[in-house]
Amino acid sequence: MKGRGLDHFEVFGLPRRLGIDTAELQRKFYELSRRGHPDFHQGASPERQAEILEASARLNAAYRALRDPLARIEYLVRLEEGRDTREGATVKPKAPPELLEEMFEIQEALQEAKSAGQTGGLEAGAKETLATQRDRLRERYEQEEARLRGRLSQAWDSAGPADRAGALTAFKESLAVRAYLRTVIDDIDEALGGSPEGYVSHRRH
Amino acid sequence: MAYSDKVVDHYNNPRNVGSFAKDTPGVGTGLVGAPECGDVMKLQIKVNLDTGVIEDAKFKTFGCGSAIASSSLATEWLKGKTVDEAAKIKNTDIVNELKLPPVKIHCSVLAEDAIKAALADYREKSGSADAPASSK
Repeated sequence: MKGRGLDHFEVFGLPRRLGIDTAELQRKFYELSRRGHPDFHQGASPERQAEILEASARLNAAYRALRDPLARIEYLVRLEEGRDTREGATVKPKAPPELLEEMFEIQEALQEAKSAGQTGGLEAGAKETLATQRDRLRERYEQEEARLRGRLSQAWDSAGPADRAGALTAFKESLAVRAYLRTVIDDIDEALGGSPEGYVSHRRH
Repeated sequence: MAYSDKVVDHYNNPRNVGSFAKDTPGVGTGLVGAPECGDVMKLQIKVNLDTGVIEDAKFKTFGCGSAIASSSLATEWLKGKTVDEAAKIKNTDIVNELKLPPVKIHCSVLAEDAIKAALADYREKSGSADAPASSK
C-alpha cells in the first residue's frame, strides 16, 4: 500500500514548498515513470499490476500539478484548505470592492456595446476601445501572475508556522483577482471575435 | 450539464433586470462576486421608507445561467417582504426552488450574499438618514 494517500509533493519526496526546480522535477518524473511503467510489470500479479497502474496515475497527476508554478499554487491552496476545513477555519477570499465595481462596469459597457452593434457585430469604434481595454487588462493579469509566482511564492516558502495563514490568504486573494480579470478578458475576447448574443456570454455553463 | 426547467425559464426570461440610482432614498445596493469563476452580481432593493417593505428589486448578473437564475429568483422573492423577512432568505431555499446541482450551489450562495449586502447597504444608509439631523 506504499504511496497511497500521498499528496503531490510527497509523491516526489518534496517538502510543501513552491520553489521547485522544474528541470530536477522533470528528471525525477522520468525516472519514477520508467521504474513504475506498467509495461515493465506484465508478469506481476493482478493486484500488483493494479497498484502499479494506480501509482502511475498518481505520479502523472502529481507532475501535472507541480510542473507549472501557478497550478502548483492552486494545488497548494487546495491542499492546505483541506486541512483547514477539518480544523474548521476556512476563510473566503475577499476581492477588493473597487475591483468588483470595475469588473461590473466593464461588463456593463461590454453589454451596451454588444446591444448597440446588434446586427453586424460590434461597431468599429467600440471594437477598438474594447481591444485597448483588453490589452490593459491582460497586462494586469500577467502582473498578477508574476506576483503569484514571485513575491507571494517566496513569502510562503519563507513563512514560519505563524505566517502561513497570512501567506495563504494572500494567495487566495491574488488568485481571485486573477480569476476576475480572466473572466472579463475572455468575455471581451468573445465579443470581439464572436457574434453578439444576449446580455450574457454562453461560454460559461 | 442539464439545467432544471426553472433555471432555463429564469435564464430566458430574467425578472427584474436593471438598476436603481444608488443614491435614491430607500435603495440598497449589493455588489458581490464569485472568485472561483469571476462572476459578478449586483442586486438592489427599493424600500418604502414609511412601511419598511421592499417595493421593488432589480439585478444585473454577469455570469452563468445558475447565477442569473438565482439572482432573478431572489428579486422575485424580495418584493413585498419587509427588510427583516428578506434577511431570512437562505441560499438553500434557492437551491431547492431551482434544483441546483452541487457544482452550482455557489451561485445560490452568491445570491444570498448579494441580498445581505443590499440589506446592509440599505440599513447603513437609512440609519444615517434617520439619525437626528443635528448637522443640518
